[in-house]
Amino acid sequence: MRARVGSPAVRRGSIVRITVYGVVVGILASLVAVLIPWLPTSASEEMDRIEFTFWFTTVICIGVFSIVAAVIVYSVLKFRAHPDDDRDGPPIHGHTALEIYWTAIPAVLVTAISVVSAIVLAKNDDAGPNPLRIAVTAQQFAWSFEYPGEDPVRSGSLVLPVRQSVKLTLRSLDVIHSFWIPEMGQKSDAVPGVETTLVLTPTRVGSYTLMCTELCGLGHATMRARVQVVERKDYNAFLQREAAGGGQDENDGEAVFASAGCGGCHAFEPAGTDAEVGPSLDDVAARAEATGVAADDFIRQSIVDPDAVVAQGYQPGVMPKTYESSLSDEQLDALVQYLGGNE
Amino acid sequence: MTEVHAPHELHHAPAPPPTGLRRLTAPGYLRAAWLMSLFWAIGFGLVVFFRWLGGYDPILQWDVITVVAFLTTMPVGFLAGIGAFDYWLYYISGRPSRPEDHSSHGATSWRAYFRVNTDHKVIGVQYLVTTFVFFTIAGFSAMIFRAELARPDLQFVDTQTFNGLISMHAALMIFLFIIPAFAGLANFAVPLMLGAPDMAFPRLNALSFWLLPVAGIMMVSSFLVPGGAFATGWTSYAPLASEQPLGQVFFNMGVQWAGASSIMTALNFLVTIITMRAPGMTFWRMPLLVWANFTTSLLVVIATPFIAGSQFFVMFDRIMHTNFFTVDEGGYVLGYQHIFWFYSHPAVYIMMLPGFGIISEVLAVFSRKPIFGYRLMALSLMAILVLGFSVWAHHMFVAGMAPWLRVPMMVTSMIIAVPTGIKVFSWLATMWEGRLHFRTPMLFALGFLSMFVLGGLSGIFLAAVPIDIAASDSYFVVAHIHYVLFGGSLFTVFAGIYYWFPKMTGRMYNERLGKLHFWLTFIGFNGTFFPMHWVGLRGMPRRVSDYAAEFGDWNMAISLFSFMLGASTVVFFYNMITSWTRGPRAGSNPWRALTLEWQVSSPPPVFNFDEIPQVVGSPYEYGVPGARHAVLNGDRTDVGAREGEAVR
Repeated sequence: MRARVGSPAVRRGSIVRITVYGVVVGILASLVAVLIPWLPTSASEEMDRIEFTFWFTTVICIGVFSIVAAVIVYSVLKFRAHPDDDRDGPPIHGHTALEIYWTAIPAVLVTAISVVSAIVLAKNDDAGPNPLRIAVTAQQFAWSFEYPGEDPVRSGSLVLPVRQSVKLTLRSLDVIHSFWIPEMGQKSDAVPGVETTLVLTPTRVGSYTLMCTELCGLGHATMRARVQVVERKDYNAFLQREAAGGGQDENDGEAVFASAGCGGCHAFEPAGTDAEVGPSLDDVAARAEATGVAADDFIRQSIVDPDAVVAQGYQPGVMPKTYESSLSDEQLDALVQYLGGNE
Repeated sequence: MTEVHAPHELHHAPAPPPTGLRRLTAPGYLRAAWLMSLFWAIGFGLVVFFRWLGGYDPILQWDVITVVAFLTTMPVGFLAGIGAFDYWLYYISGRPSRPEDHSSHGATSWRAYFRVNTDHKVIGVQYLVTTFVFFTIAGFSAMIFRAELARPDLQFVDTQTFNGLISMHAALMIFLFIIPAFAGLANFAVPLMLGAPDMAFPRLNALSFWLLPVAGIMMVSSFLVPGGAFATGWTSYAPLASEQPLGQVFFNMGVQWAGASSIMTALNFLVTIITMRAPGMTFWRMPLLVWANFTTSLLVVIATPFIAGSQFFVMFDRIMHTNFFTVDEGGYVLGYQHIFWFYSHPAVYIMMLPGFGIISEVLAVFSRKPIFGYRLMALSLMAILVLGFSVWAHHMFVAGMAPWLRVPMMVTSMIIAVPTGIKVFSWLATMWEGRLHFRTPMLFALGFLSMFVLGGLSGIFLAAVPIDIAASDSYFVVAHIHYVLFGGSLFTVFAGIYYWFPKMTGRMYNERLGKLHFWLTFIGFNGTFFPMHWVGLRGMPRRVSDYAAEFGDWNMAISLFSFMLGASTVVFFYNMITSWTRGPRAGSNPWRALTLEWQVSSPPPVFNFDEIPQVVGSPYEYGVPGARHAVLNGDRTDVGAREGEAVR
C-alpha cells in the first residue's frame, strides 16, 4: 500500500511536464516581481540592505510557489475525472522519504532567510561610533525635531545630512505614532512612556515624506512631515538659519503655528494649510464674535482648553490639552495675535 | 427546511404554544423584551444608587450606565428571557428538571431556528446564518470605505466614520464571522463525525450560540452612539482606545461576549471529542476536521482569556480611572500589545486550523484518495498549536519592545512555516494520481490552496524582521492578512458550506451558480488584494482615509475589484436561499464520502444515529478494496436504501 510515489506513479514524462509548468510559472512570477515597481527607490543604506533581504526572500518564495503551482496545474489537467467516473484513486497513504524531504528543505530555506535577516537587522540597528542624534517628538497630529548643538534647535521639518549615520530617538506626547519614510525603509513606533530609536543613513539628496503609520486618531492620515536630505554644508546652513530663528523670531506667531503643528489639523490660509480634522481658523474671529467673547480671549481659551467651546460639527476631546504647558507665554501670545490678526 | 420525522422523535414533540399570560412567562422574545427592560433598570438602578451613596457627581454618569446597564445586565436579561438559563435555573431551584424532556431539541419548522434549541445540528445552522448576517454588515462596511478610498482625499464619509467603518469591518469579520462560522460548521459536523448523538453539553452549546447575536448587535449598535462607532481598528491599541468616544466600550464589551461564546464552545468541543467518540474511534481514526477542531479548541481556551483581560484593562482605564496604560500614572503602554497579541496571534490559527480540517475532508473526497501522511497531518496541527504561542511579538517588531525579542520571535515565526508546509505538500500529494471531481467545494479547496500559499509566503516576508520593519502597518500587511484570512479562511468556509449543504438541508445547491460564485470570488479577490502588496511597500500606510495621489489609480482598480467581490456574495446568497427552499433532493451521501455524517440521512435524524456506530478503520480508505470506516445499524451499509424512510 505504501510508497508508490517514485515508482511507476511518477513517470519521466510527468516530471518533464511538471518541470515545464514550474519554469513557466517561475518566469511569470519573476516578471511580476521585476516589471512591477514593488519597492520605492532606496534612499538610505538601511533600505539597500532591506532590499537585498527582500529579493533574497523573493527568489526563494518564487521557487516554492512555482513548485506548488506546477503540481496544482498538472494535477488539475492530468487527474481530472469524468463526472460519471465513480472509481477511486490508488490508495497511497504516504511516503516517508518524501515527507522527510518536505519537512527538511523548507526548514533549511527559512533558516537561510532568518540568518540573512538577523545579520541585516544587526547592521541596520548599528549607528556606528559617532552618529548624529536627533530627537523626534510625535503628538496628535504633528512631528517636531530637535537638533543637537550647544543651543538645541527645534523645527517642524526634518533635515538630514546625506551619507551621515543618524540615530533618531522617538518619543510621543499622547498616543502611539509610528515614524516611516518609505524610501528609507526604517520604521519605529513612538510610544508614550518609552523611548525608541531608529537608525538612518540617507544616501540620496532629495525631498521625502515622513508619515505616521500607527492609527492615532482623526488626523492620522494627514500626520506627515517634510524630510529634506541635503549636503553637509546645507545642513549646517539650515542649523544656523534655524538657530537664528529662521529669519524670524522663534516667538513669531507663524513660527509657533508651524512648530506646534497646528496645520496638521486646521486650515489657515496665511500659513497655507488645508487640513480638515479641526475647524478652519480662517473665520475664528467671526466665531468668537458669535460667542460674545473678545476674539483674543476666545482664541486663547480654545488653545489651552479646547473643549470649552466646540465648533459645530466637531467632537470634543480631539485636540490635545497640552498647549498651555508646551508653549511659553510669549509663544502663546504670539500665536493668539497671529490667529486673531486674520480678519 | 425539510421536516424530519424519525419514529422516536414523536415522543418529544414540542409543547403547544403558550396562550394568555403564559406567553409572558414562557421562554421567547416577549419574555426577553420585558426581562431586558427589567435588567436594564436593575443595572441603571445599581449605578445610580452607588453613585448617590458615594456622593459622586454627576449621579447620572452615562459612560458607566452604558457599560453596566446596556452592555452587561441587559444582555443577561435577553439570555434569560429567550430561555438560555431555564433548565439550569430549574435545577438550581430544585424544581423538577425533566431530564428526558427533549422539546427544545431538533427542528420541525423554521420557527425552531429562532428559539433556544439544544440540537447541535440546529445550532450549527443558527451559527452559520447569524455569522453570515454579520458577514454582510462587515462586507457593506468594506464597500463603503472602498468607495471612499477609490480616490485620494475625502469624498463620502468623514474621518471618524471612516475609522469606524474599518474597525467595524475587521471586528465583525474576525469575532462575528470567521471564528463563529467555523464553530458553526464544526457544531454541525463534529458530533456526526464522531458517531455521537449530540455535543457533550447541549444547553451550554445553545448558550454559546445566543451570546453571538448579543456580541454582534452590541458592536454594530455602536454606530448609533454619540461620537460614532469604535474607531481604533480591531487592534484597539491603548492609550488611543482609552480616550475615544463612548463607542469604544461597545467593542471592549462586545469582545467579552463573543469571547465567552468562543470559550464555552471550545470546552464543549474538547469534552465531546475526548469523551464521546463512538466505540473504535481512536484518536488516529478521527477525521482531520475533528483533529483540527480539537487543536483549535485548545488554542481558544488557553488564549481567549488574554484578549478578555486586555479589553477589560482598557475599559477600566476609561471608566474606573485605573492606570494600566496611563503613562503619567505609571502605566505601561506596550503591556497592552503583549497581552493582546498573546491572544490575537493564536487567534490567527483559531481562524485557520478549522479551515485546514475542512480542506482535508474536501480534498480526500473529491480526489477519491486517502489523505497523504494522515498522522503527520494531525501532528503538524499540534505543532502549529504549540508554536502558535511562541510568535506573538512578531506583530511588535516596530513597537518599541525589548530589541532582543525580535530575533527569537522571527525564528519561531519562520519555523511555523514548516508544519504549514507539510500540510500544503501533503494536500498536493493527496490529489496526486487521484480522480479529481471539480465540484464547487473542490474549486474552493484549490482556490484556498493556491491563495493560502501566497499568503503564507508573504508571511515569510513579514517574519523577516528587516523587511517587516519596512512593511509593518502598510497595505502590504493588509494584503497579507486578506490572503490568509480571505484566500485562506473564507475560501475554506465556502468550501465547507457547499460540502455540507446537502447534509444540512437535504437538498443540493446549484452547481453552476456555485462555480460562478467561485470564479467571481477568485478573480475579485486577487484583483482587490494583490496590488495592495506593492502599494503598501511603496508607501501607503494602512487605516488612512486619505493617501498620496500617486496611489490613486491603483486604489481605483482595487475598489472596482472589491465591488466585484461584493457582487459575488450576492450569487452565493441567491444560490443558498433558492437551493434551500427549492433545490433537488440530495440523498444521504451525494459525495460518496466515508466519514460518518454521510452514512445517515440528509438531514440527519434528531439524535443522529439510530444506534451508535462501531468504528473499524480509517475515515479515508478510498481505493482500498473492502475497507470500512464504521459499521452502522447491524451492518446495513446500503445507505441509499435508507434515504426513503428518513427523508420525507
